Amino acid sequence: MNTRMASWFARAAKVLAVTLGVAAAVGLGAAPAAAQQPVKITLWHAMGGARYDAITKDIAAGFNKANPSYVVEPLYSGSYAEAVTKAIAAIRAGNPPHIVQVFEVGTQTMLDSGAIIPVTEIVKPGEINFGDYIEPILNYYRVGGRLYSMPFNSSTAIIYYNKEAFQKAGLDPNTPPATFKDVEEMGRKIVASGSARAAITFGWPSWMLEQSHALANRLYADHDNGRNGRATQVLFNEPFGVEVLARWKRWADEKLLAYGGREYAPNKAFLSGEVAMLMQSTSQVTTIEKAARFPVGTGFLPRVEGQPAGKSVIGGASFWVLKGAGRSPKELDAIVKFFKFVAEPEETAKWHEETGYFPATKTAVGLLTKRGWFAKHPNHETAFKQMQQGIDSPATRGVLLGNFVQIRNITDTAIEKALSGKLPPKEALDEAAAEANKLLAEYGRITK
Amino acid sequence: MEGRFPNRILPYALLFPSIAIVVAFLIVPSLQALRLAFFEVSPFTGRGLFVGLSNFRVLMESDIYRHSLEITLLIAGGIVLAGMTASLAVAVLASQPLRGLGVYRVAILWPYALSPAVAGTIWALLFDPSTGPATLLIRALTGLSPNWMMNGTYAVWVVVIAAAWKMLGFNVVFFLAGLQAVPGELREAAQVDGAGAARVFWRITFPILSPITFFLFVMNSLYAFFELFGLIDVMTQGGPGGATDILIYRLYQDAFISARWGMGSAQSILLFVMVGILTALQFRFAGRRVFYG
Repeated sequence: MNTRMASWFARAAKVLAVTLGVAAAVGLGAAPAAAQQPVKITLWHAMGGARYDAITKDIAAGFNKANPSYVVEPLYSGSYAEAVTKAIAAIRAGNPPHIVQVFEVGTQTMLDSGAIIPVTEIVKPGEINFGDYIEPILNYYRVGGRLYSMPFNSSTAIIYYNKEAFQKAGLDPNTPPATFKDVEEMGRKIVASGSARAAITFGWPSWMLEQSHALANRLYADHDNGRNGRATQVLFNEPFGVEVLARWKRWADEKLLAYGGREYAPNKAFLSGEVAMLMQSTSQVTTIEKAARFPVGTGFLPRVEGQPAGKSVIGGASFWVLKGAGRSPKELDAIVKFFKFVAEPEETAKWHEETGYFPATKTAVGLLTKRGWFAKHPNHETAFKQMQQGIDSPATRGVLLGNFVQIRNITDTAIEKALSGKLPPKEALDEAAAEANKLLAEYGRITK
Repeated sequence: MEGRFPNRILPYALLFPSIAIVVAFLIVPSLQALRLAFFEVSPFTGRGLFVGLSNFRVLMESDIYRHSLEITLLIAGGIVLAGMTASLAVAVLASQPLRGLGVYRVAILWPYALSPAVAGTIWALLFDPSTGPATLLIRALTGLSPNWMMNGTYAVWVVVIAAAWKMLGFNVVFFLAGLQAVPGELREAAQVDGAGAARVFWRITFPILSPITFFLFVMNSLYAFFELFGLIDVMTQGGPGGATDILIYRLYQDAFISARWGMGSAQSILLFVMVGILTALQFRFAGRRVFYG
């Protein structure tokens, strides 16, 4: 029997087993004395690609194996934006999952949903040591002093660079650019030397605009970035935001910047050696290191020079507990047990190693340090070091906006309009801000 | 002979399943959309705030929406024109007696069987600004390095090409059928009278093809308005800078990503009305020129 046949048989057997299993489960459910059934909780997540295996196999399956009386069922529900929408639809239909993984942009939406249980409400004191979490992560998900969701995959943005291209351009391969000015000076050398076709590219354009604001300790929206009352106006079209976009536009005009799309699409340009630098989420560290055929360096996200010091902002996602029609104490217990499992240093460390997301707790960082992981993988430490410097202020804790998913879209569009020369940076941002403010007003009307 | 059903209830019983499906999945949602179009709906509770025609007014006054409409017309025009011209040319070639014709015909039909996601991925990879073979070819030939992630005009071109390519198989099948229906003696008679190949095509073949051309014209327009969603989502997400932000994609963004169901419903009503008017115009003006033999 050849291998393909074998695998076909294996699959058929699995399907059969699952079908029988379901039948058996239904049968058991019907039996009156089925007391020892595991408590089942559903987890909707948005981890595709390599991270899919990490969350389903390592985390969910690992938990299930260690806790036979509970079953966590992970379900991939599309991109981050789609996962939020699906969760909202499920909330309306009255049958939401127990846990949903929501990206930072959906935080305000979740807070206003009326459908969540704050994580600190179900975790009894001492059960999970939230004090062990890295401060900036807590600061993002804490609103009005209360932690609402369970930190899980937190990231921030850093700069990745091609050491080979740096060397060929006569630059020090161990010194990444620290400021926009450095990017320009180094970039010109790189392009002039021909060591890469373009100097820099980035993913998540509007997130990069948010990052630039936070790095300069500037607010992105009013009411302290929406953390002191609901935001009613965005501030990215003020002179600072315009300057950032004007700089990017200048990079594009000088052929230093090769814009490559909104999320992870620009990674390709960097990995192929076409572009020497990439500003991207730290969640890509492992993937990029594996795929690159040149030595990869990483550095802190370049900031606009001559600005006050801020801090880079947290991205990624967290776990939200949804109420549903009512959760039994057993279910809540299962959720807490699962969170405890996720927070274990061993699991946190493994998740970090596999993806590049933050090792979210100090204990996990200690564990990784002791094992010599950071010494061997210095690129995995960059984001952590970056997070430890700078200051904590409303401007660096991340923006909370209603309708943020769409506002991100609007800002992305504005950035693209400016970069392609369709509109001057100021006009592009003014247009986007007007549109965003309308959305904020509408959001205020329908979620009182 | 007049066929009759043995009893009166049976025909309704037989029709019932399809009527039930149409009512449940088409009529009821359409009516709901019509109702929602007059509300601002809370995403979580579904509670609506009656706002009258406000959603429509906002759309009419929105530059973004107007731009989206223009882009849709432009892209639809491109798909209909470029797609149908190319399809007709291919169909004429594929109707020649060739060796291995069957293979060609299957190959031509193939793209139609692909899902929009696959088709979109193929074209996105081909035109990838840093590694795409098409980009490298253009660079080698012209020295230019077009980046469709940044250049809106170029993005529109790539989308039109991909969309037309996807529809090619469908068009060619119908054109081929039409071409086979052109009586050989008519062409021969014209040739005997001294008409050249071009004249034969325009005076004989094309008029006989007109019902099919008209049908494809309507189908391609509908395709361009309603079915480009997948391709756009995979390739450009409406970008760069809104350059490919067609109506159906805008609707998806508002309704399904932002959960602004009222606004999304209003857009779906407008889209429905616009396409209805467009189709009526097509029947009124183009339909008249059709020669049904």
